[in-house]
Amino acid sequence: MVMLIQTPPEGIYDELFDQNNRVRPSCRMLEDWLIRSDEALLAEKRREADVLFQRLGITFNVYGEDQGAERLIPFDLIPRVISASDWQRLQAGLRQRVQALNRFLFDIYHEFEIIRAGVISAEQVFANPQYQPGMQNLKLPRNLYSHIAGIDLIRHNDGDFYVLEDNLRCPSGVSYMLENRRMMMRLFPELFAKAPVAPVEHYPALLGETLRAASLNPNPTVVVLTPGRFNSAYFEHAFLARQMGIELVEGADLFVRRNKVYMKTTVGPQQVDVIYRRVDDDFLDPLAGNPDSMLGVPGLYAAYRTGNVVLANAMGTGVADDKAIYPFVPEMIRFYLGEEPILKNVPTWQGRKPKDLKYILDNLPDLVVKETQGAGGYGMLIGPKASKKELSHFRSLLRARPDNYIAQPTLSLSTCPTFVNEGVAPRHLDLRPFVLSGKKVQMVPGGLTRVALKEGSLVVNSSQGGGTKDTWVLEGEEC
Amino acid sequence: MLSRAASSLFWMARYLERAETQARLLDVSLTMALIDVPEDREEQLSVPLLVTGSRETFHELYPEITPQNLIDFLLLDDRHPASVFSVIRSARDNALHVRGNLSADVWESINLAWMELKELRHKGVTESNASRVFDWTRERSNVFRGAAYGTLLRNDAFHFLLLGTFIERADATARVLNIRHHMATKSLEGHPTQSFFEWTALLHSLAAFEAYQNTYGHNIEPMNVAELLILKPDVPRSLHACLEEIADLLEQIESGEARRARRLATSLYANIRYGDREYIAERGLNEYLTDFLQRIQRIAGQIQKDYMGWKQ
Repeated sequence: MVMLIQTPPEGIYDELFDQNNRVRPSCRMLEDWLIRSDEALLAEKRREADVLFQRLGITFNVYGEDQGAERLIPFDLIPRVISASDWQRLQAGLRQRVQALNRFLFDIYHEFEIIRAGVISAEQVFANPQYQPGMQNLKLPRNLYSHIAGIDLIRHNDGDFYVLEDNLRCPSGVSYMLENRRMMMRLFPELFAKAPVAPVEHYPALLGETLRAASLNPNPTVVVLTPGRFNSAYFEHAFLARQMGIELVEGADLFVRRNKVYMKTTVGPQQVDVIYRRVDDDFLDPLAGNPDSMLGVPGLYAAYRTGNVVLANAMGTGVADDKAIYPFVPEMIRFYLGEEPILKNVPTWQGRKPKDLKYILDNLPDLVVKETQGAGGYGMLIGPKASKKELSHFRSLLRARPDNYIAQPTLSLSTCPTFVNEGVAPRHLDLRPFVLSGKKVQMVPGGLTRVALKEGSLVVNSSQGGGTKDTWVLEGEEC
Repeated sequence: MLSRAASSLFWMARYLERAETQARLLDVSLTMALIDVPEDREEQLSVPLLVTGSRETFHELYPEITPQNLIDFLLLDDRHPASVFSVIRSARDNALHVRGNLSADVWESINLAWMELKELRHKGVTESNASRVFDWTRERSNVFRGAAYGTLLRNDAFHFLLLGTFIERADATARVLNIRHHMATKSLEGHPTQSFFEWTALLHSLAAFEAYQNTYGHNIEPMNVAELLILKPDVPRSLHACLEEIADLLEQIESGEARRARRLATSLYANIRYGDREYIAERGLNEYLTDFLQRIQRIAGQIQKDYMGWKQ
């Protein structure tokens, strides 16, 4: 049976179809393939993918469910295509943005130029709970703070990409980018013979290079620090450690002596120079952060302050990806780089500004409201989808702690054909490329595409029923 | 390598080896129970419980020894820490800890075993399909070994994994030999056919039936069996073969200051390598094996102290 592909609703940018429901030139080979594919065969391939993911153990743990309950993130077979020219622009924009964010982090822990220039108020930086006063005047190699950044992008109905959020702490998801590609190549090798898809497989090599460059030691010992196997991203931690050929350690495998960090090995202590940590700031060192943390290493903070170990990412990066700081990123780019931002920000109203607050309260049903500290799709309100009760609940939250919230217009995330129960239908998606900063700023072409599987839904988070797709950046000329 | 990783690899391999031993033991016992005269049936069935020291646990959970109860207890019961289900779960838990040290093939072999076992458990195992589950267990074990030999880097991670396998195997061989040899010797007073089955049961439990026939021919002699399973270096489950591997592995593992496990293992290896059947006969098999078991457990304990123990 031949595939029937539902076309997108009007007024929404679709990655496959243009506004006249014609297939975009860069996607023609994809459409050929979809139309010629047999529905039963594709259904079988989907099952095959599920079995393979289970077998590989590419599962994630959901907080609040039974410890050890492992779930698969739904994987959609239809890739999301990005044209070569779109990617070139994205890449330049991402490089620019991450450079500015790293400059900002250096500045707010050293010279405070941006504050003195009046671009951002002192209160907004120093009173931010993510600001780590202990990081002030600490000299970091190459002045780098966020070695690994994940930037969440969406495509609006004007066809342009917008940055929704910067993730500068422990962005995750890159293993899905890699495994999704591996899965697609395994299931549909014939597709890759036809389409000039740019490779992403060298990401672990680039990450390794970036982490080694984070130390001044020419031949540093690098480890991945994981909270352990009950963490939702444990699979990824183990995956990256194995791909880079370095040790995956837990807090209990490390100890600090005379301000140096060692790991406990079968031949005695071995000094560690760089820690790619996937543990939050607060849990890194029970002596400095959360005293109840069993995940961290007592004394790590002191060793870090002494300069005997590098943390990637640095402590205190959270202040720059906070939703309250987000509206200032375009200004940062102008301030530090003297350039016009290539990537757009989503227009944002800040609860802390009385004028903005009034606008938010007056237009709540049309807006998306987010907690400045929230993550993972928790603690947010999508105005147009909210019930009266939810709206009034958020009104009172906003009045009680206005500085805790920002609001944005409900953006129409672009859609892409996706397998669902009813066949192939358009579903909304976003994109998270991973930007690595070491000797230079680099990234592999692509990223993680997350897709909201429920019809009309705009929430792509895996903890809330989102799925993923392979992301194809095409090489060279379009078509 | 990380001490914790060494420990996880060591235990992962021990658990997987244990699953195979359990399946072989139970397989042989169920077959023997069918052949045996009714009054000896219970004795046959309790062999796996004796070997693994789990008779008390069994009686706490089950009213009587029946084939079905044994199948439930030894294969599937998650309340029994040494059931095939529990040990494969433990193996996978350990494998999860050291995923960074495992090749994709080795990890998948263990993860797949776990997934399939959950499915098997869900469907239930009865006397009539138990043999398929035994075959499955052996097959999974072979796939794991094949993946380990075929895809793992020959570094200390590999060495600790093998160390776990051979420590567990030496321990199991000594236990099975001790108990089944005693039973078979007793059966010599009875019917010769019955006695023949007792000896073959011992050999099958340790996958050494063909090896015996190759070495000694059809006639089964008690001292030949003991010699085969203790002293012959070319029988994969013999104590000699296991100790040779253990001593060799400890030589290869980068060990810094640690010497004690090496010394203990080399000494036990020398005892076996230069031992002979007369000495075993003189000392008595039971005493010989009891002493061996104590020493292999000391070696296992010392390995953990030397390489995996980090008390601060």
